[in-house]
Amino acid sequence: MENTRKWRWGVNRWIILGLIILSVIGLQFIKPVQPHIQVAPENLTKEPLFTLPVIGDFYLSNTIVAMLIMDVVILIVAFLVRQGARKNGLVPKGIAGAFEMIVDTLYGMTEATAGKYAKKVFPWFATILIVVLFANLIKLVPGFETIGLLEESQHGYEIQSLGSVWSTVIDQEAHEGGYIVKPFARALSTDLNFTLALALISVVMTQVIGVQAQGIHYFSKFLNFTTMFKKPFLGFMDFIVGLLETISELSKILSFTFRLFGNMFAGMVLMALVGVMVPVFVPSLIMFFELFIGAIQAYVFGMLTLTFMAQATQGHGGEEEHA
Amino acid sequence: MTGDIIEAAKFIGAGLAMIGAAGAGVGIGLSVQGALGGMARNPDTSSNLMTNMILGIAFSEAIAIYCLVIAFLMLFVL
Repeated sequence: MENTRKWRWGVNRWIILGLIILSVIGLQFIKPVQPHIQVAPENLTKEPLFTLPVIGDFYLSNTIVAMLIMDVVILIVAFLVRQGARKNGLVPKGIAGAFEMIVDTLYGMTEATAGKYAKKVFPWFATILIVVLFANLIKLVPGFETIGLLEESQHGYEIQSLGSVWSTVIDQEAHEGGYIVKPFARALSTDLNFTLALALISVVMTQVIGVQAQGIHYFSKFLNFTTMFKKPFLGFMDFIVGLLETISELSKILSFTFRLFGNMFAGMVLMALVGVMVPVFVPSLIMFFELFIGAIQAYVFGMLTLTFMAQATQGHGGEEEHA
Repeated sequence: MTGDIIEAAKFIGAGLAMIGAAGAGVGIGLSVQGALGGMARNPDTSSNLMTNMILGIAFSEAIAIYCLVIAFLMLFVL
């Protein structure tokens, strides 16, 4: 048996009370300022990094910084899992054990849904789930949407210098030439480019897996000429149903994009506004809620990808699902 | 003058757009009702029902989030 620390009741509540009192005292010195919220991610450099001829300029935006941080964290976790699996072999401990449990659960779900195509579908499902999960959880690290560059703006606030290079924004509206904060890193899922890219990957790979499973006959789901000439009226209805299926596939892209974007952007706006209105204890509750919502949205994105891919391999046996 | 009217119209539009979230509330309530009824009859399948309930709740909530996206579009972009 391992030695576990004896659980003492009543310690945590004093720590939380102490932190609440600290935050009330801290509020007397610095009052929170409402950040500038916009849908498009802010650019950190004035000039673009490179320019492609047709597509346009590519700036270093703060969601790209968050994406790089997320990539580094995923690589570190993967490296630790590999070391853990090599060292202990059959029963890995620590983070390798946790990821073994996660991968086992996900693979069980894939086999239950997709059947014999589980090996093809599982990489897409698990990768999308883990990327979205890490992108949503890294958002909760303190300093993520608060520390950044100061930029002059019309509706800005006054600033006060804190030290050598750092300044803070004070809760007084400046009449002209005030400053707002452009965060260094902003949550990756609040960028419409990221969610749109994942949605396109998911839907296009669903079609590819459908073609791999059923051959060219897969496209008879959309352009249904099979019964057009034998029974004219029902054939025509099948053709209309095929058109509706096409529209449904396109609406899947939109629904994937806006579900993830809307949830995460709403969380960011909620944190910003509640942090200004009730700064004492409520932001912690909202962060807990966002932890929950981030994990659920990652799970839903992955599960929907899995379900659509499994339906694509089955043909006319599966029933429709509108999201 | 027109700047103030546009600001007021933005706020009114954002408020009206969120009326659509009422449908999501009813939908989530119905799906949780079904899940709880099933769990009460058959506690062994509780985890299976919980997984599918979370999936169904996320679908319903997505519709409310679409309304929220329109509200944000009106407040922050246009």
